Amino acid sequence: MALEKLQVDSLIVGGGIAGMQAALDLADQGYQVALVEKEASIGGKMIALSKVFPTLDCCSCITTPKMSAVAHHENIQLLTYCEVQALEENGGGYTALVEKKPRYVIEEDCTGCRECEYACPIDLPSDFDRGMGAYRAVRVPFSTAVPQVATLDIENCILCGKCEKVCPHGCIDFTQTARHFEIETTAIVLATGFEVTPKDAKKEYGAGQFDNVIDGLMMERLLAPTGPYGHVLRPGDGKEPDSIAYVQCAGSRDATLGIEYCSRVCCMYAIKQAMLLSGALPLADITIYYMDIRTFGKGYEQFYQTARAMGIEFVKGKVAQITEDENKNPVVRVEMLDEGSKIVERTHDLVVLSVGLLPGYNPGSLYGVPAADDGFVTVPSPNISPSETARPGIFVTGVAAGPMDIVDSIVLSGAAASEAAAYIEAHNSRVAVSESKGKKELAHV
Amino acid sequence: MSTEDKKTRAQLLKQLREQYRDTVDRTQALLKEHNAVRKEIFKAMGDEPRTVPEIAELSGVSSHEVLWHITALKKYDLVAEVGMDGEYYQYQKVKGGAS
Amino acid sequence: MSEIEQNQTPPSEGQEEPRIAVYTCYCGGNISEVVDCEKVAEAVSKLPNVVISRTDMSMCSDAGQALIEQDIKEHGVNRVIVGACAPSLHETTFRGAVTRAGLNPYLYHHVGIREQDSWVHHNDPEGASEKAIRLLSAGIAKSRMLEPLESIKLDAEKHALIIGGGVAGLRAALDIARRGIKASLIEKTPFIGGRMAQLETTFPVDEPAREALGGLIDRVVEHPNITIYTQAELVGLHGYVGDFHATIRQDQRGVSEDIADAAMAACEIEVPDEFNYGLTTRKVIYRAYDGCYPSTPAVDWANCPDGRLELTLDGKPVVLENRPETIDLTVGAIVVATGFDLYEPREGEYGYGILPEVITLPQFIRLLALNGDAPLEWNGRRVKNIAAIHCVGSREVDGIHEPHEDGSLNEYCSRICCSALLHTLNVVKDRYPDINVYDAYEDIRTYGRGHEDLYIKASHQAVRFLRFHNEERPTVNRENGDQPLLTLNDYLTWGEEIEVPVDLVVLAVGVKPRAIDDIISMLKISKGSDSFLAEVHPKLRPVETAVPGIVLAGTAQGPMNIQESSAAASAAAAKVSVLLGTGEVELEPFVAVVNHDLCDGTGACVEVCCYEDAIALETVTVNGAEVQRAVVTPANCVGCGVCVSACPNLAIDVQGWTLAQYEAMIDAIVGELPTLEAAR
Repeated sequence: MALEKLQVDSLIVGGGIAGMQAALDLADQGYQVALVEKEASIGGKMIALSKVFPTLDCCSCITTPKMSAVAHHENIQLLTYCEVQALEENGGGYTALVEKKPRYVIEEDCTGCRECEYACPIDLPSDFDRGMGAYRAVRVPFSTAVPQVATLDIENCILCGKCEKVCPHGCIDFTQTARHFEIETTAIVLATGFEVTPKDAKKEYGAGQFDNVIDGLMMERLLAPTGPYGHVLRPGDGKEPDSIAYVQCAGSRDATLGIEYCSRVCCMYAIKQAMLLSGALPLADITIYYMDIRTFGKGYEQFYQTARAMGIEFVKGKVAQITEDENKNPVVRVEMLDEGSKIVERTHDLVVLSVGLLPGYNPGSLYGVPAADDGFVTVPSPNISPSETARPGIFVTGVAAGPMDIVDSIVLSGAAASEAAAYIEAHNSRVAVSESKGKKELAHV
Repeated sequence: MSTEDKKTRAQLLKQLREQYRDTVDRTQALLKEHNAVRKEIFKAMGDEPRTVPEIAELSGVSSHEVLWHITALKKYDLVAEVGMDGEYYQYQKVKGGAS
Repeated sequence: MSEIEQNQTPPSEGQEEPRIAVYTCYCGGNISEVVDCEKVAEAVSKLPNVVISRTDMSMCSDAGQALIEQDIKEHGVNRVIVGACAPSLHETTFRGAVTRAGLNPYLYHHVGIREQDSWVHHNDPEGASEKAIRLLSAGIAKSRMLEPLESIKLDAEKHALIIGGGVAGLRAALDIARRGIKASLIEKTPFIGGRMAQLETTFPVDEPAREALGGLIDRVVEHPNITIYTQAELVGLHGYVGDFHATIRQDQRGVSEDIADAAMAACEIEVPDEFNYGLTTRKVIYRAYDGCYPSTPAVDWANCPDGRLELTLDGKPVVLENRPETIDLTVGAIVVATGFDLYEPREGEYGYGILPEVITLPQFIRLLALNGDAPLEWNGRRVKNIAAIHCVGSREVDGIHEPHEDGSLNEYCSRICCSALLHTLNVVKDRYPDINVYDAYEDIRTYGRGHEDLYIKASHQAVRFLRFHNEERPTVNRENGDQPLLTLNDYLTWGEEIEVPVDLVVLAVGVKPRAIDDIISMLKISKGSDSFLAEVHPKLRPVETAVPGIVLAGTAQGPMNIQESSAAASAAAAKVSVLLGTGEVELEPFVAVVNHDLCDGTGACVEVCCYEDAIALETVTVNGAEVQRAVVTPANCVGCGVCVSACPNLAIDVQGWTLAQYEAMIDAIVGELPTLEAAR
């Protein structure tokens, strides 16, 4: 069976901020780009954030226009809900076999009106809201999703057909199956992103069993204007917290978890959240327990000093243990290094674990690019070629290349686009030379 | 839709039900459980503005679970946030929304 | 989201009646947390010609933009206003949406109600809401008078100028060249490679720095699209994106390859060698280091009396003189890769400049390189104990630390010093296991990939860490003994005071913005509050300056390590490729236009214009008579409007921002408004 085929200059794997930026930086140079995203919408982790440091722009202000630009760019083919399943070398370039998963919704006809979602009887814990809110088995993933179309989650569906009945455009299609097609490309940019430390990773911190111990991404959702509760409330009982504590390095720099590296973003996101919390809950006490404050980026140290001046309490000390009192308030046991190293127990209404960044997906075997000991893609010459992998024509950006923040991801994506463009140019001129040679030989005949 | 199409469709749905029998069963059980919990929650709420701990107390459902259901119901306009009592927001059934 | 739609009479025949749609953006809370967006939308909906007034959580999202497109198509909207962030962020985003719906992009008008309103009036929500109404009303008043405009398209020179030949400049030049664009790189010193050549080894991959750098230099030197000018400086610039005219002054190298070694041997003038941060001296004819590029020695003219050098070669007197050359380059874009300066500690800061045992980390790195495997000696004594101090000249806090002479404080973190210092201390412990190393810090910032390993290794190698508080930094004094004494309260051991006698003190000095005010003023780019060069926005346009066609690469923008400099440089190259790849650039049409019926050729406009060849008097024929009239060259005009104010006849307007439009805006701002009360 002949597969549908797409020919492009570059394939971008991953539609988070890093992948989108790489796609835009290549497409703006005139290259044909295919962007493959496994989720139903592009936007990645960033689209779920509240405001972003150090400018405190709302995250939508940065992400959504880029999502829109990707969707409308004449040189970009946006392929959501798709996964690369196999990769072959092909004359100096690559051929990727891609599967498009069935949405059970006719994308072309869906207007994103969400009638189906309202009709669906199944409420599920929303991944987008980190389990704190709900969504339905058929849904538009989130309000600013691109594309704005519904996707039916067949694994959590009772096939009742209510959605089909209410859809004004007849989009629900239970007969859809996975489609396969090929993408022929010269270069590939991997922007496969990350996961965060699972909340249950550390048994000293309650192994995820305490309702009022949450992770940093959950706090992002609580602070976001589109968040599950519409306010900052603790998930245990909906109380507006008076005392909030951050536990830094909860999943980073921790040999017991086998993760010795620094996750690079947690200091800044904790400080940023602390600042946003002092705006949202002016009377709340906010404490950050830390080992080292690593506010290294442009404007970051000033941001930290502002937070100190705002009255946010910074306590040097590694939190040894978190327990729960009878009212489900988390109790933090910590050695206060700045106060004669005394060991104290302090009760808070809500504790936020500043969880670290983990390699979410290892593209190693599929793309033939090895991962280093830390699990992120190996970059053999990081100083001179920070986005080059060990395999020619395959480049890496964003957290797939190791923990980094949004600013650094965006810059590295520019670098990956630059490297990919140069690779494409060299490849094209090789092809042009061999084509002209072929013509010459023909002329001799 | 022609009779033929309807037949094909019915056939496909049947196949799909067969294929996803386990998940359908699991989800149906989940739905049943949700409905039971919500019945308790709505009973506890009556027509009054209630906080999460109040609903939990009256219904016997854990406050963590109450909050999740209230959040879901609020998102789909079945419950509304109507005020605040101390450190807790109050929620009330939306008329014509919740049963 | 809310919407208020009004039925308006259809436009009269012939003249297109403005049908204005106004969108008030919540900006994800940034605006709506202060401004009552719903009230604002309701208030402005009452204004004439406003046919649609809506609010949205985030207008710049795809859904928000789709809303605009839909309103244009379905409701015949022909003027669009979004009240949102500053126009520098998303004006072009919305112009794109308007264009997609078939409307001229300049029939869009952007009103800033975040930076100019909600962010600055967060203590006065009511006032902020009223201000938003006033600002939007002014926008609406202007929007009624908007006319379709066409952007100005110009040929672009497929050639970029790169200022600076360090790793960032080299990396940018290479990436630009590989895209088929010519690259001219100017380096002010006689040798390229910058500071990376001064390092012995790099991290996180432990490799000889010069090998990695050498590989990059080879690729740059071999690339046919790249021309390198050493001992060269930018001395003049005019023009605009796509067509900059740069004037470069290049010193003579001074000696040819054939006599170079003899000349170096004959040269008698010695000066401190900056390559070794003054630890050694060099002659004024010199190579920076073995294997430098170019390999031909150069004369350091600045250290030659009167810029001349007299030598005796083969018994004959020879006079070397600098006759600088001027090179004119036409380039489409400019990459600023001018690098950084190191913080020079004040005299007495941790004993620096007073105690000879106190040196900086860069000096120490050179000392180790020069020393090789020989026993480490300093100041005539075998080094047995070393103290290293972090954050010297960084993380200075107002009210705690004393400002510098110019009143400034280096409030920023210099980003590279923690990892660089620990990498170096590991080299010490590898090479000299018996030396005791003390490391005084406030926070260890080994944030990068593979950097934490440096910290872990140092701990395993028994580097002794001492932690101070930023408000009570350590001191270094020589009291009674002959060794300097490091004193601090160590907060890793209950804050107790610790005194450590040492033989050498290494100060991890920070990174400082380079003194390049001449270049900054030629390029008309700007510095941020930390005095490093400013980007437009750290996430939206992280390597671009506010001047079209001028981009930033590396540490000119802020502290970065080698890896980050390379990434930034490649990203800058990508932007240059976007700009110049097609050979055409587009400029905004906001330029001066002269109404020749009103102009009587006074030339007042020409006199006040600050831009070259932007406006001139030309002879034109009016009613059969030859007269002088002002004529604008749109490509050279930036639309600043100075000529508009100078013209006694009001004959000039900046299109898109006409006097009549301004008047309408001002009338709207000061006039009667649909107030919040009236809207209720």
